[in-house]
Amino acid sequence: MIDPTTGAYVLAVAQTALALALAPGLVGLVRWMKARLQNRQGAPVWQPYFELRKLFAKEVVVSNNASWLFSATPFIVFASTVAVTVLVPVLAVPLPFDRVGDLVVVVYLLLLGTFFLALAGLDPGSAFGGMGSSREMTVAALSEPTIALAIFALALSAGSTNLGQIVVRTMAEPAAALSPGYLLAFGALFIVTLAENGRLPVDNPGTHLELTMIHEAMVLEYSGRYLALLEWAAWLKLLLFFSLLGNLFVPWGVATTLAPAALALAVVSLLVKLTLLAAVVAVSETRVAKLRLFRVPELLAVSFVLAVLAITVSFLVR
Amino acid sequence: MGSLFAQLAVMGSSLVLIFGLLLLWRRGSAAHIAAFTAQSVALAATVAVIARFTGSAELWVVAAMFLAVKGVVMPLLLKRMERRFGESRELDPYVNTATSLVIGGLLVLFAYIVTRPVVEVSQLPTRAGMPLAMGLIFVSLLVIISRKKALTQVIGFLMLENGIALLAALGTYGIPLIVEVGVFLDALMGFLVMQIVVYRIQQTFESLDIEQLNRLSQ
Repeated sequence: MIDPTTGAYVLAVAQTALALALAPGLVGLVRWMKARLQNRQGAPVWQPYFELRKLFAKEVVVSNNASWLFSATPFIVFASTVAVTVLVPVLAVPLPFDRVGDLVVVVYLLLLGTFFLALAGLDPGSAFGGMGSSREMTVAALSEPTIALAIFALALSAGSTNLGQIVVRTMAEPAAALSPGYLLAFGALFIVTLAENGRLPVDNPGTHLELTMIHEAMVLEYSGRYLALLEWAAWLKLLLFFSLLGNLFVPWGVATTLAPAALALAVVSLLVKLTLLAAVVAVSETRVAKLRLFRVPELLAVSFVLAVLAITVSFLVR
Repeated sequence: MGSLFAQLAVMGSSLVLIFGLLLLWRRGSAAHIAAFTAQSVALAATVAVIARFTGSAELWVVAAMFLAVKGVVMPLLLKRMERRFGESRELDPYVNTATSLVIGGLLVLFAYIVTRPVVEVSQLPTRAGMPLAMGLIFVSLLVIISRKKALTQVIGFLMLENGIALLAALGTYGIPLIVEVGVFLDALMGFLVMQIVVYRIQQTFESLDIEQLNRLSQ
């Protein structure tokens, strides 16, 4: 029998490794479902793993104009996303790193990655990179407060800004998960998930037209292992948002003990939740067209208002 | 049991409010009519929930009436209007979409403030939904004053009526049936009159833009 504290730390590391391993598969799954819905054959689900392997083997081409920022950014983005993984309840609660940071840290770590990515887009001086950075900042400035507000709505009813504590509280009071505050916050966070991860209708992840790109335009100059790290970090971010949506709002299945049975159940329920959310995203991306850039703030305003209402409902009605 | 009732009532009220906010977000009249239909169905469901938990037969009748008239008949009439005038789009409202959404959110907060005294003295399990109904009333008023197309304004008025009906159902478990029917017929008549007025606007100006009304026509 291992010491529970050590066990928890081991689990936190294992959870991060699992998230890293699953992230490319999740994106592959979304792509495959989308392809099937659009009557295409579609690349196999594990295609992103091949892409990663290919990119890691390729040489890196760096523009002569690029500074150290350009080569530091992939590592910063990747490291900050992995750091968030440690703080988000993917498999089990309470997490040993709960003492290190709560949801405010999560929000700002995500923003740190976005910030450096935008700088790196500007750094080589290419026109598309700068355009992508400016757009990404517009979207981030509007979506970041909404993430915080949406999760704060949950934090208010749980009485803690700690993500693990929120999950524990929701499990203790299953009725709360059906309360309007939770549903509104879920709606808000779902829209922000689409915006933050560059999914339709905000950004088109499969586009080849530079003029319409947001995220893709910033990483246009990257190649080889740098690109691999950035892609992997972006996929991991999608997985993180999906597990936030799945575990904060529908916490059942998340392990509260370190028993192998509970952990196995947690893995299975995580896979089910991720598959469901991937299906929802695939269907919605098949149904909607990309929004015109100047209408994106309207969509984010909807999400912001939902988050404000979520806070109002859960704070004023207690 | 009481808490389930409270939760369902608040849930229904927030759905009703969200469909109201949809009116601020979407531009096309087809989307507005769909939002109104969905809102009316949510309203009927909320009233049915109240009827189920209070065991009031009158409220069942009211819920059925809401579903039939507001959920089916009025959307059909609205769709006929839309067919006659062609799809109208709210391209250039007085207040732009993003701003009006934020104002809508603030109005709901304001509704919480003004209904606070009522909610505090109320003992009903449905009291938590009252600010949301009041919020819908404010949001509908915002739609009426900030949008230019006559069709949007008519739908805004109908949503205002929905908000008042919801407030009545939540706050007092429904007003006497005869009054309810009276209000109902009033709204229906008002709607029919508005339909004719809108038709006349279209005839005179060949547009549903009520800004044209500011211009004297010879």
